[in-house]
Amino acid sequence: MVKPVALLGGKSALYSIIAIAIALALIPLVLGYNMYYVYLAAQVVLVTIMVLAWNIIGGYAGQLDLASSGYMALGGAVSGLLLAFYNVTPWLGMPLGALTAAGLAFLMGYPTFRFGVKEVWYALSTAALVVILQRVFWLIYGSTEIYMPIHRWSWYHLRFSRYEPLYYMLVVILLVTLWLNIRIKNSKLGYYLTAIGEDELAAEALGIDTRRYKLYALLIYASILGFVGGIYVNLTSIVSFRMFDPWLGIVVAVMGIIGGLGSIAGVFMAAVILRTLEEYLRSMFGATIPGIHLLIYGLLLIVVGVLKPEGFAGFLKYFRRRLARGGSGG
Amino acid sequence: MIDPAYVTQILINGVLMGLLYSLVALGLALIFGVMDIINFAHGDFVMLGAYLTFLIATYFLIDPTVTIALTVPLFFLLGIAVYKAIIKPVLGAEPLIQIAVTVGLLMFLRNLALAIFHAEPRGVPYTVFSTPITIGPITIPLSRAAAGAVSLAVLYIVHLLLTRTRWGIAVRATADDREAAALMGINVERVYYTTFGLGTALTALAAALIMTFSRADPYLGLLYGLLSWVIVAMGGLGGVVGVLASGLILGIIESFGMSLISAGARELFLYVTFLVVLWVRPRGLFGRR
Repeated sequence: MVKPVALLGGKSALYSIIAIAIALALIPLVLGYNMYYVYLAAQVVLVTIMVLAWNIIGGYAGQLDLASSGYMALGGAVSGLLLAFYNVTPWLGMPLGALTAAGLAFLMGYPTFRFGVKEVWYALSTAALVVILQRVFWLIYGSTEIYMPIHRWSWYHLRFSRYEPLYYMLVVILLVTLWLNIRIKNSKLGYYLTAIGEDELAAEALGIDTRRYKLYALLIYASILGFVGGIYVNLTSIVSFRMFDPWLGIVVAVMGIIGGLGSIAGVFMAAVILRTLEEYLRSMFGATIPGIHLLIYGLLLIVVGVLKPEGFAGFLKYFRRRLARGGSGG
Repeated sequence: MIDPAYVTQILINGVLMGLLYSLVALGLALIFGVMDIINFAHGDFVMLGAYLTFLIATYFLIDPTVTIALTVPLFFLLGIAVYKAIIKPVLGAEPLIQIAVTVGLLMFLRNLALAIFHAEPRGVPYTVFSTPITIGPITIPLSRAAAGAVSLAVLYIVHLLLTRTRWGIAVRATADDREAAALMGINVERVYYTTFGLGTALTALAAALIMTFSRADPYLGLLYGLLSWVIVAMGGLGGVVGVLASGLILGIIESFGMSLISAGARELFLYVTFLVVLWVRPRGLFGRR
């Protein structure tokens, strides 16, 4: 019989998930149920989900995918348009969104991996995908913004007068994504993906069907993003072509790299710290210096790339080593 | 139904844009071909060049085309500085690290522009090339014609530089085999920084031409960056000729798409072409390593 603890990937993983769950559950209380802060907290959790989902394709499998915002917006558009036009509940819309995103990921991923599109070409084709989706959406719906139903606060519409219910739903999805990350890391799939990320040719020589496993990673990643898209549109209340934001896709990958590819703790920290820093900088300088947070991300990325390619995870290791040596060595 | 004059007009528009696109991509093709470095920030040098052109043209009240006397040498030096500071440490590193560093540079440049100029597009108030040429039913804006002609001339000059000079031979030898070139006494380091400098200087030239009919805004970077990579993907390492052919093909596809379907879907035609080329001809239309 498999113990539940083993299913979670060991005791320490279980404890950290419980600790994170408690901390995230208490955040609205700490923030005094202030609507604006809870909204921001939801945004931070959302980006953390995106980066953790990205970690599966980008961190483990080493494929620099820049289309996370595209898959999320597609799932969100499916769920949001069904709700706005046909009054279909997001409880149905979100799985449909996940399916649509996964379907698109398959249509993109199959030929991409089949024809050996790699490295820079993979990154570019995924960046192009977000722009393509954005233009197609624009051709169909134009630049008008489609609003979610406003005065129907209910669990059926998943629309609330406060942000806490959506925040808690995002927290649950975050915990599931975290669990998936840990599960995958300690499974056959995870070992295969890590091998592909380290050296694809060597992995293939060892008999790993690299195409198939890269496709699995892509499908898991796209499904998570397609699913969470439904909550995203209910959080912002708007469906528009602007959701298909190539910049968000780049930022998610940047956070994953700064966090240290494949390191769950590093990626988690990078997303939380950088997204919170972003809000802080925006509230401080947003009016006078727009985009200052991205300017700082840019500098951080250059520094990490040139000095510490292992990212935050590398810095964590470095500090731990220094502490162990009593701060004498480096 | 199909009016030959209309089709000719679309074709001419496409060819003129295609020539300019080739010029924009030429620097990237050189850098990628010679140094094997993945530079995501190429488009943002174009964006930076456009703003610099705007600043100089409005400050000195001169034509944007005259500003190249200042911006091109400046960008050559900027290119060398960027090479020494952040490109050299990641030469030969994993592709992911190179992408990360140049994406960092891209975000830095783009948001620096956003911080200084905010999101408002800036255009130069006048240029000598503002009157259109009319031949029968066909109208060609003089600015576009001039941009196309200058692009073609520069492509030819770079082609001559690469094939007829000692520097060009050194560059091509280094691109073929870095170690062998070094053993033959070629100063590889000098080849690298001059190539990066030239590649960057070419973006300033392209930016000045773009400013004669378009405006500078922080979003130019993503468009021209992706566009350049599309051309390099199509042209492969087919040299200047490959870049020119790919640029023309893209310009014509874009022009027909914009005229016959929707002008707002410009990027759609470019990127769908890109995906199809990657899938069908992974080595580019003109061969790639």
